[in-house]
Amino acid sequence: MRSVRALAVVAAFSVFAVSNIALAGEPKQGGILRMYHRDSPGSASIHEGATYSLNVPFMPVFNNLVLYKQDVPQNSMNSIVPDLAESWAWSADNKKLTFKLRQGVKWHDGKPFTAADVKCTFDMLMGKSQQKFRQNPRKAWYSEVNDLTTNGDFEVSFNLKRPQPSLLALLASGYTPVYPCHVSPGDMRTNPIGTGPFKFVEFKANESIKLTRNPDYWKKGRPYLDGIELTIITNRSTAILAFVAGKFDMTFPTEVTIPLVKDVKTQAPNAICEITPTNVSTNIIVNSSSPPFDNQDIRRAMALALDRKAFTSILFEGQADIGGTMLPAPAGLWAMPKEMLETVPGYGPDVNANREEARKLMQKAGYGPDKRLAVKISTRNISIYRDPAVILIDQLKSIYIDGELDVVETANWFPKVARKDFTLGLNLTGNAVDDPDQSFFENYSCGSERNYTNYCNKEIEKLFDEQSQETNIEKRKKLVWEIDKKLQEDVARPIIFHSRMGSCWQPYVKGITMMVNSSYNGYRYEDVWLDK
Amino acid sequence: MFAYLVRRLALMVVTLVGISIVIFFLLRIVPGNIVDILFAAAGYVDPAEKANLERELGIDQPLVVQYLHWIGGLLRGDLGFSYVSEKPALEEILPRIPITARLAGLALLFSTSIGIPLGVISAVRQGTRLDYALRVVSLSGLSLPSFWLGLLILTASVSMFGTMPIFNPNPRDFWEAFATYAVPAAAVGFRSAALTMRITRSSMLEVLRQDYIRTARAKGASEASVNFHHALKNAILPVITVVGIEAAFLIGGLIVTETVFNIPGVARFLVEAIRWRDYPIVQNLVMFIAVVVVVANFTVDMLYAVFDPRIRYTD
Amino acid sequence: MSAIEYETELRRAGVGATQGWRRAFYLAQRHVLGAAGLIIMSVFVLTAVFADFLARFDPLTVDSAHALAGPSWQHWMGTDSFGRDVFSRIIHGARISLAVGIGSTALGSSIGVIVGLASGYLSGWVDLMFQRITDVLQALPLLVLALVMTAALGPSLPNVIIAIAIPLIPTVSRVIRANTLALREQPFVEAAKSIGMSEMRIALRHVLPNTMAPLIVLATAQLGSTILTEASLSFLGLGIPEPYPSWGRMLSESAAEYIRTAPWLVIFPGVAISLAVFGTNLFGDALRDVLDPRQRG
Repeated sequence: MRSVRALAVVAAFSVFAVSNIALAGEPKQGGILRMYHRDSPGSASIHEGATYSLNVPFMPVFNNLVLYKQDVPQNSMNSIVPDLAESWAWSADNKKLTFKLRQGVKWHDGKPFTAADVKCTFDMLMGKSQQKFRQNPRKAWYSEVNDLTTNGDFEVSFNLKRPQPSLLALLASGYTPVYPCHVSPGDMRTNPIGTGPFKFVEFKANESIKLTRNPDYWKKGRPYLDGIELTIITNRSTAILAFVAGKFDMTFPTEVTIPLVKDVKTQAPNAICEITPTNVSTNIIVNSSSPPFDNQDIRRAMALALDRKAFTSILFEGQADIGGTMLPAPAGLWAMPKEMLETVPGYGPDVNANREEARKLMQKAGYGPDKRLAVKISTRNISIYRDPAVILIDQLKSIYIDGELDVVETANWFPKVARKDFTLGLNLTGNAVDDPDQSFFENYSCGSERNYTNYCNKEIEKLFDEQSQETNIEKRKKLVWEIDKKLQEDVARPIIFHSRMGSCWQPYVKGITMMVNSSYNGYRYEDVWLDK
Repeated sequence: MFAYLVRRLALMVVTLVGISIVIFFLLRIVPGNIVDILFAAAGYVDPAEKANLERELGIDQPLVVQYLHWIGGLLRGDLGFSYVSEKPALEEILPRIPITARLAGLALLFSTSIGIPLGVISAVRQGTRLDYALRVVSLSGLSLPSFWLGLLILTASVSMFGTMPIFNPNPRDFWEAFATYAVPAAAVGFRSAALTMRITRSSMLEVLRQDYIRTARAKGASEASVNFHHALKNAILPVITVVGIEAAFLIGGLIVTETVFNIPGVARFLVEAIRWRDYPIVQNLVMFIAVVVVVANFTVDMLYAVFDPRIRYTD
Repeated sequence: MSAIEYETELRRAGVGATQGWRRAFYLAQRHVLGAAGLIIMSVFVLTAVFADFLARFDPLTVDSAHALAGPSWQHWMGTDSFGRDVFSRIIHGARISLAVGIGSTALGSSIGVIVGLASGYLSGWVDLMFQRITDVLQALPLLVLALVMTAALGPSLPNVIIAIAIPLIPTVSRVIRANTLALREQPFVEAAKSIGMSEMRIALRHVLPNTMAPLIVLATAQLGSTILTEASLSFLGLGIPEPYPSWGRMLSESAAEYIRTAPWLVIFPGVAISLAVFGTNLFGDALRDVLDPRQRG
């Protein structure tokens, strides 16, 4: 039943995407797409950052080996299409993935693209090359890759330690462009060279980013646009006002809050706005290595006290999703079915009953109306972090916990978390790819750099590996649900909600598809055109 | 006079050295550095990569060494590289200065061309309803949060005209360029016009009470001639000082205004650089602002010394 | 007109020194604007003091059922996105603004007084050193200094107060120093010296009280601008953090999102800030007229 509904929704999404293009008529060449950018990215190198502030402006400069089809809203194994690779094949033991590469592709500086560039890129990502990235946040993605081998200029193979079908999904992300061998990481940060539909022109910090059409793009007839210009506007109200006033063709993707979408729709009724899941979850990081949350009862009580509906209704006017670690259906592919989710403590529909149970647990731990527990709730000084924390504090009052907000500047946040200098923290976790391998290993495996709570459960760790190697999707799903349920029951990192955000564009902007299960992968923009 | 000049110049250098020390060490007291911020943005910390990066940027060295390195470079005209964009700091700062200078210039123009006449009128008509009204307006000018005023202007502009003045590096024509500067300049200028008006008024009142004004009046000079020719001429000196000092205060107002109107000038750039802990940008920019302020003060003092013989040259 | 001249004038108008009410009434008549300012300031202070009685709701309680409700009988100034009562938050916000205003002005002024007195009275190398420090602080734009300070100290109420106070020091110390220099030459100081009073006592007993008038004038004038500085810091994301209902924070946060969908969130805090600052400015002006004749305008 559930999967049928999910299918229907996916179908609806795709029909929408198709109709969007079909109604638009023949694409027109020319024009510059003007967007605003929400902040000034630290550099221009996608591999060295972990924010889609980098993907949006710089994905158009590059190609991947493979890519999520840009006009299909839901990323899945079935929507992966060739990019620089013309085809790919798994070996019989599922431990070798071989790509046949496109020939005649040129880098923006005129040098030819070959298999050596692919090897260079991934060697660098695995930390195996002479030249190093300043920062390499996704090194862990390739932990199962032994090495890369080339066969001539146009064939490259990934040799794995064990089968990992999801590797292909990771390679299809906007986070995984192929870099040229002959350009240093430093130059890629300031003056990126790619093979993509647009060439980098300039990046003025805090001011603008400019891209221009690549006339020698290997895909004939693309891109339609002459260029893309992003003006950096950090003040959200100014940015939205400028969009409403027609100064921009498009807002920054998934950056318009639900109240602002309403505002845009009243001010500029013709504007097209889509509200999509971002695959960013808001969660609580719990320091279970010191009191009071080393007590399992108190952790459980906290999980039971959460009224997730209240969070989503306040912050998203109800338009956000409730689930476990994996992005909820229909947009997400791997989420537990609703019936299963509701058996997890704190997810049951009766909030009052849950809280009653929570209060009992708190009393068992020695707290009560006259002996309340005072805790600090740390979070970053950014409203998407701070706002949910305010609600959390309010909700915890009902179970004898008095929370005090401890606002931490961005620069101090990770050092503080790494020092375990927090009791409860409110945190956001973005998932670039809707795939359990990305989310489980990164956030819950023992010793992972992003496992902020140091949750470490060897049994679950085994299940992580087991699901990762499973080639049968239905079997894998069952495993993933089981893991997700266990993670929630352990209160490893209680997930409060999965956010949704809006993106708006003027009616003459065509060929935009917002992805529904990732906000990192849909910005190649080679199919975007302006109907004016 | 010459000795005074030398002394003042020497003190100016001392002040600038002091500023360089204060800003250098203050910045390093601020918790977190560029490396922390870069890793915060990336959502993880890798100690080895972190140490590498700190070494690469030279922020692992002792503070005194870093300070001397900076000052040494500064004296050779080498401002170092921005940590964020990895471009020469000079290349980042220089193109942004004219934008802010234009904005500040227009705001000052706005402030003096409105503030001085209104101040004179208010003083001449002291105690009348007009005076009261002007004083209330000027006080309210000092009471509005400038970002609030800016946002109200932008919102009103979009609601009423369907468009708004937003910075465009390549304006179509003079008028577009003018609008993108004039509106934010007016938003900042409103506050400083209020200040100028108040200073002009009190300075005028003081002068109007002086004997020579009475004399001029007694001799039958016309009211306008007394007010504008005799009185204003003498009242203007303190106003000039204040306008000079205001230039420094203006920077504060500009930070907020450049943010609201999204103008890529130095003021907003400075705030962003502080946020990123981009030391080379912050240090050099603050030094630049300090030089401007110190030189402006020095010039004002010199003008005073030249025009007002009552000034003692000992202090 | 000096304070003494005022006495004579009051007496001439038939108002004796003992008739407190009539005196106040007379002064209020002469300074309508100042009286208005005083009233605004008193309302502001009383609101802050009695916030717990005036507020109709708890300013921190989240109520998802009534989020973003417009002004009504129930919620006079509407509710914010969390369903918190804006009126109650503004009432409690008066406390925060007052704490920032008075706290930072008092702190900045006291340090300024100490520096100014020491500088003016002791002269020599102490003066030279303090003067240079003042020069340094004055050449840095106020907001820039406050920005770096809050970033350095971290966002909290006491830290914001400190960050705003420090840039105030130079102005105060300059004025106090100038006054002290002038006073030092006065006969009564010479006299005190000749009867063998210690320098410290002279400074505290004779010089300090005589610099009070300009100090009060200056402090009142700065009260308003400290409140505005806090608002600007909040706007730039460095002011007083949630959940304290600071006006600056309420304004800057909501201005970004709700300027048109829920204008009450933007208008009321903005009006509160402007009115409070306006009141202190009006009052400060009148105070200057009365206490500091040289600056009169």
